[in-house]
Amino acid sequence: MSRMLTVENLSISFRTDEGVITPVQGVSFHVDQGRTLGLVGESGSGKSVSTKALMRLLPGTASLGADTRMHYTTKDGRVVEIETLANDGEPIRKLRGGEIGMIFQEPMASFSPVYTIGNQMMEAIQLHRPMGRREARSYAVEMLNKVGISNAEARVDQYPHELSGGMRQRAMIALTLSAGPALLIADEPTTALDVTIQAQVLDLMRDLQQELGMGMIFITHDLGVIAQIADDVAVMYLGTIVERGPAREVIRAPQHPYTQGLLAAIPSLDKLHDRLSPVPGDIPSPNARPTGCPFHTRCAQKIAGLCDARPPREIQTQPGRAVRCWLHDDEGRNAA
Amino acid sequence: MLRFTLERLIGMAITMLLVSLMVFIIMEIPPGDYADRYAFRKYSGTGVNVTEADIQAIRVELGLDKPMIFRYFDWIGGIVLRGDFGQAFAFETSVVKVIGDKVWLTTGILFATLILTYLISIPIGIYAAVRRGSAVDYGLTIFSYLGLALPNFLLALVMLYFANRWFGADIGGLFSAEYRDAPWSLAKVWDMLKHLWLPAVVLAWSAVAYQIQTVRATMSDELNKLSVTAARARGVPERRLLIKYPARLAINPVVSTIGFDVNRIFSELPIVAVVLGLTDLGELLLKAYLDLDMNVAGAILLLLTFAIVFMNFLSDLLLAWLDPRIKLGA
Repeated sequence: MSRMLTVENLSISFRTDEGVITPVQGVSFHVDQGRTLGLVGESGSGKSVSTKALMRLLPGTASLGADTRMHYTTKDGRVVEIETLANDGEPIRKLRGGEIGMIFQEPMASFSPVYTIGNQMMEAIQLHRPMGRREARSYAVEMLNKVGISNAEARVDQYPHELSGGMRQRAMIALTLSAGPALLIADEPTTALDVTIQAQVLDLMRDLQQELGMGMIFITHDLGVIAQIADDVAVMYLGTIVERGPAREVIRAPQHPYTQGLLAAIPSLDKLHDRLSPVPGDIPSPNARPTGCPFHTRCAQKIAGLCDARPPREIQTQPGRAVRCWLHDDEGRNAA
Repeated sequence: MLRFTLERLIGMAITMLLVSLMVFIIMEIPPGDYADRYAFRKYSGTGVNVTEADIQAIRVELGLDKPMIFRYFDWIGGIVLRGDFGQAFAFETSVVKVIGDKVWLTTGILFATLILTYLISIPIGIYAAVRRGSAVDYGLTIFSYLGLALPNFLLALVMLYFANRWFGADIGGLFSAEYRDAPWSLAKVWDMLKHLWLPAVVLAWSAVAYQIQTVRATMSDELNKLSVTAARARGVPERRLLIKYPARLAINPVVSTIGFDVNRIFSELPIVAVVLGLTDLGELLLKAYLDLDMNVAGAILLLLTFAIVFMNFLSDLLLAWLDPRIKLGA
């Protein structure tokens, strides 16, 4: 099990009309071959932006922090320092698709509506594999078969709007995997699908990951999905990782008040008569970032004078688990 | 695609039939007819007393006495079956002879203008959208407003002045003096092209300004589409990506307004033609109306509307080719 991706101190700033905002601050994580890292958080917590930075897909108004390190080990063992690459050009294009594949939330919008599924698949295949048109086409059909699309020989010539939502996401998975990535970034790939289809697509992704031995970063706001697919989990809040650890342990015994709130907010069939318990308050806007711990404005257990003044350190609570909260810090406990 | 084309063709035929009816009715509406005008022109000032019976005789001679419905079928039948647009009374020859050359010249100006418009506005609009917010983008926006604000005839005058001064050419008209009455030859075509660019630039000016803004706006939208990010995330090279994904959809509104552009060119052409000393169809149309020479006027109106309807048909086909969702009815 080798490490394929190490991200350290990832900070991302955007120039906006209201000044510079920094929606991602000092995020570190890593992905091992064959393992899945789940990134969890509400909308605006910086999950998608972080993975876009990995692919250098951020707009021109974005810039990376000076300490940001994103090191990726390619299939043939070279180490690429992604933070040093230009947004456009041969080196990053080699990485995009062929080394790191990306699946997005909306399968309809991620296909171009004016080209057939086959056209878009063959383009990706020919960019990253030494194949001619005919070969690429039969490989596309093979991949469509692999993701469980029936009658792939005919589907390959259809347009995206001729497929159902679930089929489209399967086709998108086939398209992304056909370029042969070693690391797959899935940005809420099942959020736009029906619950029953969701489960099928999750199963499919897990099976394919095991078969191909890929590393995966799975972004979601749904801790239930994390329980099904991720080995490790990192919980993000307002651009920082507040808790990390093996997925099962974090879900069974969450340590950060935010993670606890997220788990309590999941509706349960056992408690139909109780009211839902959402995490109180709203996620603050990135240009009005609270001082101290970013979560203190919504935290029921906050320590006045500490949480709102100084940002907490990351504390290792057990081997492989860490939490960024004053409640778990000796200094914090003494102050309380 | 075949079925789609056939449907549009039938639609076009029906439209043209209705248009021809309308044109014919418009031809009938002005009070009096060519027989009145003919008698007036022939005998006024000669002291001859013209009676109603004389005018009626002229009417019979020209075939103007028959009921309207007969004359309509006579007229449209001649056009469809024999390409015969009838008699140009004021010129005492056939309409085809009178308008023949001018039709080709007008068509030439039309296509030169359209091609120039799209060749300039589409790449520039795409470039402005990709470099959105840059100095080039702002410069182009200012140029666009200038283009929209400047009246055509003024531009024509200014350009005529500078073309004459810098190129020394007798730039008015579509031909140099030595080719004006010469038979068609390669040299004459070349001579025409040398003169064609000026009216084309004048007529394309405001359309270029307008279409740059259209392409820039739709291209900006398309650039933000997830499908573009997704293609970029697959490692598609940037230039190929821009052309294949956003640009193909960004030119949709331009293609779908080809018919409008044709219409606009036809309505601006007469005044530009007067300024530039061109003998185009517009000028002739005005004259034919003043003379109540209805066969000429009708033929020109019919040809102009045919051009618009045909270009609309063409833009439908192009759109269906650009965006496969259209013909599939999704």
